[in-house]
This record gives sequence, C-alpha cells and structure tokens, in this order.
Amino acid sequence: MTTRTAPAPALVWVRRHLFRSFWDGLMTVVFGGLGLYILFRLARFVFVTARWEIISTNLKLLMVGRWPDIHLPRISVTLVVLAALGGLVAGLIHARQVRAGTSAVEGMPLPARASDLGRRFGLLIGAVLLLLALTTTVGTWLTAAGFVVAGVVGRLAGARIGRDRLSRPVIILLTLVFIGVPAGMYLYLVDAVPLADWEGFFFNVSAAAAGIVLSFPLGVLLALGRRSRLPLLKTVSTVYIEVVRGAPLYVLLLLANVSLEFFVPASFSPSKPIRAIVTFTLFTAAYLAEIVRGGLQSVPRGQEEAAKALGLSPVKQMGLIILPQALRNVIPAQIGQFIALFKDTTLAGLGLGILELLGAAEAITQQPDFRGQGLIIESLAFVAFMFWVGSFTMSRESQRLERKLGVGTR
Amino acid sequence: MKRWIALLAVFVLVLAACTGDDDTAGDDGGATTTAGGGTETTAATETTAPGDGGESTTTVAQVADESLIETVTANGVLKCGTRDALPGFAVLDESGEHVGFDSDFCRVIAAAVLGDAEAVEHIDLETADRFTALQSGQIDVLVRNTTWTASRDGGEGATFMQPNFYDGQGMMVSADSGFASVSDMDGVIVCVAKGTTTEGNAAAEATRLGLNWEVRAFDDPNLIQEAFLAGQCDGWSSDVSQLVAVRSVYPDGPDALTILPEVFSKEPLAPAVRDGDTAWAQAVNWAILATIQAEEFGITSANVDDVLASSEDINILRFLGAEFETDSGTTVLDPGLGLPTDFAYQIVKQVGNYGEIFERHLAPLGLERGVNALWFDGGLLYAPPYR
Repeated sequence: MTTRTAPAPALVWVRRHLFRSFWDGLMTVVFGGLGLYILFRLARFVFVTARWEIISTNLKLLMVGRWPDIHLPRISVTLVVLAALGGLVAGLIHARQVRAGTSAVEGMPLPARASDLGRRFGLLIGAVLLLLALTTTVGTWLTAAGFVVAGVVGRLAGARIGRDRLSRPVIILLTLVFIGVPAGMYLYLVDAVPLADWEGFFFNVSAAAAGIVLSFPLGVLLALGRRSRLPLLKTVSTVYIEVVRGAPLYVLLLLANVSLEFFVPASFSPSKPIRAIVTFTLFTAAYLAEIVRGGLQSVPRGQEEAAKALGLSPVKQMGLIILPQALRNVIPAQIGQFIALFKDTTLAGLGLGILELLGAAEAITQQPDFRGQGLIIESLAFVAFMFWVGSFTMSRESQRLERKLGVGTR
Repeated sequence: MKRWIALLAVFVLVLAACTGDDDTAGDDGGATTTAGGGTETTAATETTAPGDGGESTTTVAQVADESLIETVTANGVLKCGTRDALPGFAVLDESGEHVGFDSDFCRVIAAAVLGDAEAVEHIDLETADRFTALQSGQIDVLVRNTTWTASRDGGEGATFMQPNFYDGQGMMVSADSGFASVSDMDGVIVCVAKGTTTEGNAAAEATRLGLNWEVRAFDDPNLIQEAFLAGQCDGWSSDVSQLVAVRSVYPDGPDALTILPEVFSKEPLAPAVRDGDTAWAQAVNWAILATIQAEEFGITSANVDDVLASSEDINILRFLGAEFETDSGTTVLDPGLGLPTDFAYQIVKQVGNYGEIFERHLAPLGLERGVNALWFDGGLLYAPPYR
C-alpha cells in the first residue's frame, strides 16, 4: 500500500497561486522575471552605482534650507513637543478604545505590539534612520532620541489620563492643550526665523500641515454652504468651488506670486510661504467641499428624520448625527486629497520661487563639485523617496482608520 | 434649521472677510479668470490717485515719487533678482549662500549703495517672471544673466546697465564628430535649453546658412547632457560661457567635446533696473563701472588700502573718495550720484575689481577673458572717466 505524502504547504501555495495553468505559469515567469530585474537594477543603483555625496553634503539645505544653525535646536524642541502631543492623542484614543472594548492591541503580547508598530511606522523609522546615518552632528541623534522618548511618555500619560471617563474640565484642558501647544510652537519658531524664511523639506511638511488643518473646516463649511437653502450662500459656495476647481493649482500659485503686487502696496504684501499656504488652503478646500458633499449625500435621509424626531436642534442634527457619518464615509477620499496637497507643495518651488525640497534638489546639481555628473538622478530619487515615505505612511494610517471605523462594512 | 443656516452664513462670511486680506492670492485665482486681465491697469491707476497721501501708494506710484536709491538706503538691504543654478554665475553652496559672478555683482551694488556687501537679499527668479518681478517692485535690481536686447529695453519696462559680461551663442559637438565649422552641420539635431533666446538664435542661424537643423529644446540643462551623452544630439548650442562650463566637467573629459569657433549671436549680459528711475539707474551703473575702473587702475582688494595711503595720483584719489589738493584747498569728489563718496573703495575692498570677480568665478570654469578684457588689453571693457 502506497501512501502519497502530502506536498509541503508552501509548494501547494505556489502551485495554486502562481502555476495553476500554463498561462498562469507563463505570466508568473514573465512578470516575476521583469519584477526581479527591476528590483535588481534598483538595488544596484541605490547601493552600488549611485553617488550619494551630493545628498549627504547638502542634507541640511535639502531638509531645512538656510535655517540658521543657532536656531536649529528650536526645530528639535518643536519636534519633541509635537511627539509628546502625538503620543498623548494616541494614548487617549487607546484608552477610549479599551473602555469601549474595541481596542485591537489590548492584551496583545509586547512583541506582537512592537511588530504592529513596526508594520505601521517601519518605513518612516527606516527613512529617519537613513537620514540620521547621513548626518554628522550629534544634535540630530539627540532629537530623534528625544522624539521617541517624548512619544512614549505622551502615550503612557494619555493612556493613564483616559483610563476613566474624562470629566468636563479635563476635556476643556486637553482641548486647550491641543490648540495652544501647536500654536505656541509656531510662535516659538517664527520668533527666531520668520515664516518667509522657511525652506527645504521643512517647508513642504509645514505648508502641507497648515493647508490640511486650515482647509478642512473651510471645506466642510463650503460643502454645507452648497447644500444650504439660502440662495446667496448656495451661489457663493457653488461659484467658489467650481471656479477654484476649474483652475490648475500651478496657475493659482503663479497668480499669487506675480499679480498680487499690482493690487496691494509692496509694504503690505504677504511673504511667499503665506501666499503658498493660503493658495493651498483655498484650493484644497474646494476639493474637500465636494468630497464632504458626497459624504453628506451618502447619509440616508432616515438619519436626519430620526434626529428630528428626537427633537434635536438643527445644529445638533448636523453636528452629532449627519456630519460624523458623512465624514467617516469619505475618509479615503479626504486622505487622498491631503496626500495630493503634500505632494503639490513642490509646485511652490517653481510657482513662487520658494527653495523647497525639489527646488533645492535641482539647484544643488549645479554646484561646482557636483555639476555635469548626471547627479540629477540621485537628487530626484531622494526627493521622490522622501515624499513617498510621507504619502505611504499617511495612506497606511488612513486604511487603519477606515478599518477601525468600519467604513464600508456598516 | 433656518437658524443653523443663518449662523453658518454669518460664519462663512466672517471667515471670508478675515482671509480676505492675505488671501488675495487665491482670490485672484478666482477673480482674475473672469475679470483680472482687464482690471489690472485700472487697479493701478485707481490706487495712484490718492497717492499723495503717501501710505497707500502702490509700487507703481512709488516710482514717480521716490527713487529706489532712497528706498534701498532706508531698508538697509538690496533685493537682488538672481537665480540658484547657473554654474559660475549664481549657484547655491551647501549652506544655501549664493556664489557666483552675478551674485558678486549683487554684492558690488550693495557695497556701493549701503557700504555693506553682505546687505543683499538674493531672490531666485524663474526666467519667465524675472521682468515681472522687476516691474512689480519685488526686486530692486535684476542681475540674472540677462541679455540686453532692444525689445527688452523697450517692451519689458527695464533699463539696462553697463554689461558685466559679453557672451555669445556658440555650438559644441563631439570631438570625434568631424565637424570643424558650424556650416558643416547639415541635417543634424541641435539641442538647446528651452525658454531663452538660444532657441530662436539657433533656428535663425540655420536659416541664414541655408542648413537643415532640427532644434530640440530641453527644460533642464541636466537633461541636455543626458541626451547628448546618449547620442541624441549632434550639436549643443548655448552661450559660450555655459558651453565652456559644461565642457570642463564633462564625464568623458573636456577633450571629448569641441566648441566650434563661430559665435553666432551677441549676448551682452547686463544688470537691469526698472524704467523711469534715473537716479537709481545711475547709481547702479556706476557701481558696475567702478569694478572696471578699479581694474584699469590696478587696484585690487588686496592693495586698495596701500594705494589709498600712498597714491599721489589725483584720478585714483578722486575715485577712492579720498581727499585731494585743489587750488582752493583739500576736497573730496562727490559727483552727485547719490552714492557715498567712498563707494568705489567699499566695492574694491569688500568684493574686488572686475578681474578679481572674473578670476574667482569664471576662470575656474575654463573661461578666458576674451572680449571681457579691458579695452587696452583688446577687450570691450571701458569705464568713462570718474571726475
């Protein structure tokens, strides 16, 4: 009697997924080969042929532009404080989920939690380590260490504070902290270096953050305005949305750059980063308005009727019942818009002449030590990598948020 | 529901009003698509009307009222329109400082007007909006490798100064291509940079010589080199200064490239100021001329103090703003340019004479003085007498 030994599970998987039929197998071989070849070329470029001195020499210029060295600690302090704040938020959310019994990580053993964190932020951590490897100063390492410590402390504190239901004074206090601390950090930074001199990747990140924070409320208001029954409000909102969405962002930035001087006195003219941020905000708000409007329409009419039946005021109907559901439904589109905004900040270089990451990366290829050697490829690869890390992390976190909030499953 | 919407309306309006001031950026975007083009001039004239009040005048009005020489002196900083990636002329070093021939001429003007060569704000401009920046008052002077042409002088609202570099368009080919002259090149592909006078000059030259060229334009000099290396271009046409710069660091070595002898355009690169401000134009012009005059006198940043202490030459003493003897006693020459009397001394001391600036930034690229030598050395540089 012969017993057929079962093939190894890996082999089964391979046969079932990659070589199910002849054509399947062919596809696997062709595309697998192509993929491996591209991967090989990429790895060869990154580790063998590329000359990264142009990046390491100019790392400071690329990251923070001409930020004075003596004021660099202010950026470090800001990052550490924001890490603590971020940790606090994460801790509070975690505690709330524990109380609600929906936490995914509660009760997970420590190694599993670490690997979960690694999956979420591994890419970001890797990128930061890579940058740290290129630096020669202690300050950056200290900042990174401070960032991690502050984040952990904030996370633990948040979990502790949120263990019991928050009382009203605590909620008010926390709200003040979340508004006051970032505003304070902003003032702390502009006290040393005015916004007009914010450059490098620091500008891209700051402009994107400001654009996201400012465009969100404006977008929601515009969406509500467009659905309003007041004809004036409706018309204004609709015209605004359609006009702004109809113009290319680059054109708006160019207009912000060149046309303003003809209308306002030079002494009143705002600095370039402000022009950029305002343009980004107004542009993104128009798109967000349409996304949010889509979300509002996706909320079943019964929800509003039920809210009315409960006797809620119109503000409460919108604020407690309709808007939360509407916003939850369109998280992927919103985050997509924010990612687009983050990447679009590079247009400020060309449109407004701000020395942001892309502009600096192009400028350094003409330095006496590096020009004429085709280093534009290394330079652009670095820019692409930085934006990819940021965008991909945002996208992963948004997917996680969707899963948590049950978008598409309810 | 009504109350909620009314509240919202108020909120939106308040928000719109708040952002109104610094938001004109985006508002423009909205408004100009419908009405912007036509209103531009009227907006300027409207604001000029109450201009006597002073505060509310636009930059357009300021031109008429007050020379930039006063504005710049009052601000204590010179806003110099420049660029950040042109080898030899203006590039960013690793700390983000502007380094180059043009950047040094920004410093020359600052040293003359303000007595401090470092009192410069270098403002990077794209080729397309350099003249707009000049007209709108975003910059005080444009030192950005700009060719002085009649239509720019006439049509762009710019007044050109003494050229600080005489360039000309040339052609570079592979050394092994066998071309010895531009007229040998028929049925070839010529690669140029986009958006400059280069593109039109190349086409005009081909027509003049009765040759058939396909002119291919690239956005970025990096890309031309890649295309050239890949054999996609038979010729590379640009200002000779740039061709020399490229050749000196060419990956296959400078000898792999030949710059053909013909120069088929005149490109006097000159700083420019806004039309209608004669006082400012004269000040800037004499700052540039002083670098040439200093070289004529043989005064350098190294020996200027010695010359000042020991020279008996009345022309040199006048030039450096030193006291000299006349029939009616000792005096200092103030020609009435609105510049400090020692402006030439400050220029030479802090930045250097023309030859020093050239040696510092353009000689390393492999450029010869050529037509940019002094007149008595067979070049074109000639400063009117300072007296």
